[in-house]
Amino acid sequence: MEKNFKQTSRTGSLGWLLQRISAVILFVLLLFHFITYHFLTSGRSVEYRQVLERAQSWWFPLLQFAFLLTALYHGLNGLWSILEDYTTSKYWRLAWYSLLVTVGVVLLFVGTLTIIKLYTLKVA
Amino acid sequence: MYKRTRFYDFTYYNFIGSWAWILHRLAGLALIFYLSLHIWVINSLTYGEKTFNDVMTFLSSPLFKLLEVGLWSVILFHAFNGVRIVIVDFFKGSLAHKKLFVVLIAAAFALWALGSYVLLRHAF
Repeated sequence: MEKNFKQTSRTGSLGWLLQRISAVILFVLLLFHFITYHFLTSGRSVEYRQVLERAQSWWFPLLQFAFLLTALYHGLNGLWSILEDYTTSKYWRLAWYSLLVTVGVVLLFVGTLTIIKLYTLKVA
Repeated sequence: MYKRTRFYDFTYYNFIGSWAWILHRLAGLALIFYLSLHIWVINSLTYGEKTFNDVMTFLSSPLFKLLEVGLWSVILFHAFNGVRIVIVDFFKGSLAHKKLFVVLIAAAFALWALGSYVLLRHAF
């Protein structure tokens, strides 16, 4: 077990630092997201046209992509640090790590597709 | 001797910091699960106006409004305990981490009450 432990000798300090930096960014972006999408839209019907108009301003795709990337990184890196605590076998670690990277790539793809589609859809 | 961490070692959970730690992890797990669902569901909003309206009607039911309040609680706990973690790690907050916990959770609770009112005001 000790041997396995030593083999993953990278300290993980970069992940630790990036987790905190992404946390600070998310604190701001997530509160902004919740206010604009959950609170300001609550209780009235959300118009398709309004959503498309906002989605097609110049700042929307940039902000949403930054949000998507930061949230996915923070979430999956957090999950990875939990899994690292309970997994000592290097094969299981590799399996989990590969799974998390795959999930991250797929979700990044789906999310980016959503942003691009909303940006390019014609407002009827 | 290296001792493996086991989640059922309840001796860890006797103190406020340990509870903050385990709840932060559980909240994080719930949030990455929600984020994955969220990215998938939001993608269905790009399949034209009819699909958009159907999905939005489905998501405006009282059940989903209650789930949204639950989401808002989990986000606030994770975000404000996260602020405590950043203060502890970068600004010598460990000297007062219990006081910080109480103050930040009180602030989170105030925002929780405000947000939940906004979400539920037209729900029933």
